[in-house]
Amino acid sequence: MDATVTLRRVGNSSVIPGLAILLLVAMLFSLTIGAVSIPVSEVGIILLKNLGLFNGVAIDSTHELVITTIRFPRIVMTMLIGAMLGVSGAALQGVFRNPLVEPGLIGVSGGAAAAVVVVVVFGASISLAGWTYELLIPFAAFAGGLGATFLVLKLSEQAGRTNIAVLILIGVAVNALTGALIGLSIFYADENQLRTFTFWTLGDLGGASWQKLAVAAPLILLSITVLLFFSRALNVMALGEAEAYYIGVDVERTKMLVIFFSALGVGVSVSLAGMIGFIGLVIPHLVRVLFHPDNRLVLPASVLGGALLLVLADVLARTIARPSELPIGVVTALIGAPFFVMLLLNAKSKREI
Amino acid sequence: MYEANDLSLRIGSKVILDDVSIKLHPGKFTAVVGPNGAGKSSLLKIIAGEQTPSQGAVKVNGKNLRTYRSTELSMLRAVLPQQQVVQFAFSVEQVIHLGRHVHRSRRSHDERIVAEVMRLTDVYKFRHRSYPTLSGGEKQRVQLARVLAQVWDDAVHPRYVLMDEPTASLDIAQQQHIFALARQVCGRNIGVMAIVHDLNQAARFADELYFIGDGRLVASGSAREVFTRAVIQKTFRCNVNVYHDPCSGCPFIIPETFPSVNNQSILKPVIQ
Repeated sequence: MDATVTLRRVGNSSVIPGLAILLLVAMLFSLTIGAVSIPVSEVGIILLKNLGLFNGVAIDSTHELVITTIRFPRIVMTMLIGAMLGVSGAALQGVFRNPLVEPGLIGVSGGAAAAVVVVVVFGASISLAGWTYELLIPFAAFAGGLGATFLVLKLSEQAGRTNIAVLILIGVAVNALTGALIGLSIFYADENQLRTFTFWTLGDLGGASWQKLAVAAPLILLSITVLLFFSRALNVMALGEAEAYYIGVDVERTKMLVIFFSALGVGVSVSLAGMIGFIGLVIPHLVRVLFHPDNRLVLPASVLGGALLLVLADVLARTIARPSELPIGVVTALIGAPFFVMLLLNAKSKREI
Repeated sequence: MYEANDLSLRIGSKVILDDVSIKLHPGKFTAVVGPNGAGKSSLLKIIAGEQTPSQGAVKVNGKNLRTYRSTELSMLRAVLPQQQVVQFAFSVEQVIHLGRHVHRSRRSHDERIVAEVMRLTDVYKFRHRSYPTLSGGEKQRVQLARVLAQVWDDAVHPRYVLMDEPTASLDIAQQQHIFALARQVCGRNIGVMAIVHDLNQAARFADELYFIGDGRLVASGSAREVFTRAVIQKTFRCNVNVYHDPCSGCPFIIPETFPSVNNQSILKPVIQ
């Protein structure tokens, strides 16, 4: 008996708690790793103390500072971004009824990254107060992501319906265009801004801070919550748009809201950490192949699975080439791609795709 | 009653449907027949509420279709479209449960209904299989079960099932099975409308027949009334001979041989 069959027997009820426990363990482990390694017991005490739950044991104040100002915001941001990418991938695949769709493909990530790069490179000439600038970045990312997505959608519409084959081709073209925009901005960038090129194209989780999260976290959490709300409707959409209408789903509203909140959440994620590929594509598939394709499981499991994969990828990115850090996008693709191909081959041989 | 009055549909300058009226009665099986491209599927889409006609209106149980919210309408009518592609490997049982989406009823109630329609359509024994691995006939039965689950609740108001060629590409035994089921479904205060390709099957199973040719209603009524050489000639531009089954008296057709013009062009030897 192979692993897939056994896992499928695990059933619905234990998948979510299981993933949540794995995520918690990965999170604690990740918090111990870094320039100074801090034992897990101390990490636990620091966390409990800062939550106001535990006070009594003396803690190394440097360690506390490292955890609360550097590692903890970073892990929170990592989990939020991973969760957002995972759930939006699952929701978009459901809405377009195509397993190839992911936030990157329909232009969300590229549009967001291009808008942010343009703001970073050319925005310096407009003098803005610090906090306006902080707000401008996520807003530009969201607007860029949404703009690119709607461009892709509009152009691939045929007689009122989205032609998936055209959508994928237009997505490729729009991604090339946003890539060119990023390249063009880089061309006019100064030495310092030039270094951000890797950041935007391969992702970087290093820039986390509580100030950035104060704006981004509520927007990402809102997007995740709204997308989860559509799990049931997305199951019906798997039958086709006309069929979903016959069954009583408001197809246009579902489509528009799923795209809007994917663009919002992923756009904001890109503004925090650049373009991180592969999670939105791989995680929902992993869940479907390992368990089953009911979106009431796939969406919440993609939230946790996306967060888990990004946390693990981040641990690797920070440890493989110590003391420097690998770009996170390189690591997600390095882990994700072979595993993904293996699962696809397994599913293909059983005619499950 | 499901009533469509004076429906017309024009797309650009092309007339798809011209002044077609149709009535569906609960407890009755209505078959719509006509040649390819006659506008049958457009008629079904308009009746189902998916497409808006250029002219005319559809009433469901006395109320205009446009005044229903899509969720309300889904409690009254279910639609079985022609081809069925289900993306992602849902199990048979999961697919059928999707038909219960709009009801928001208790889980145990949904499960009872799903089990009932699965037994009826004879899919119960492979309910745990993955949908994409099924054969064409099995898929069609699963989709029929899904459609029935949508309107299966005991209700006082009449409900309707609209089917677009439910037996396309099925063998004769499977066709019999689907049509017999459709008739059985009528017993539950449900009106069934089906677009049917096989004229003999339509005559055999339908209470009422609608002949649609070139976007127009050519004739409607029971098989005995309208299943004639003249009507079929006018609708399909094809000559047939009508006979009657000695047991049931039900009419059936056998097409005439090739018209002589074609005959010549086909059989004439090509000598160069």
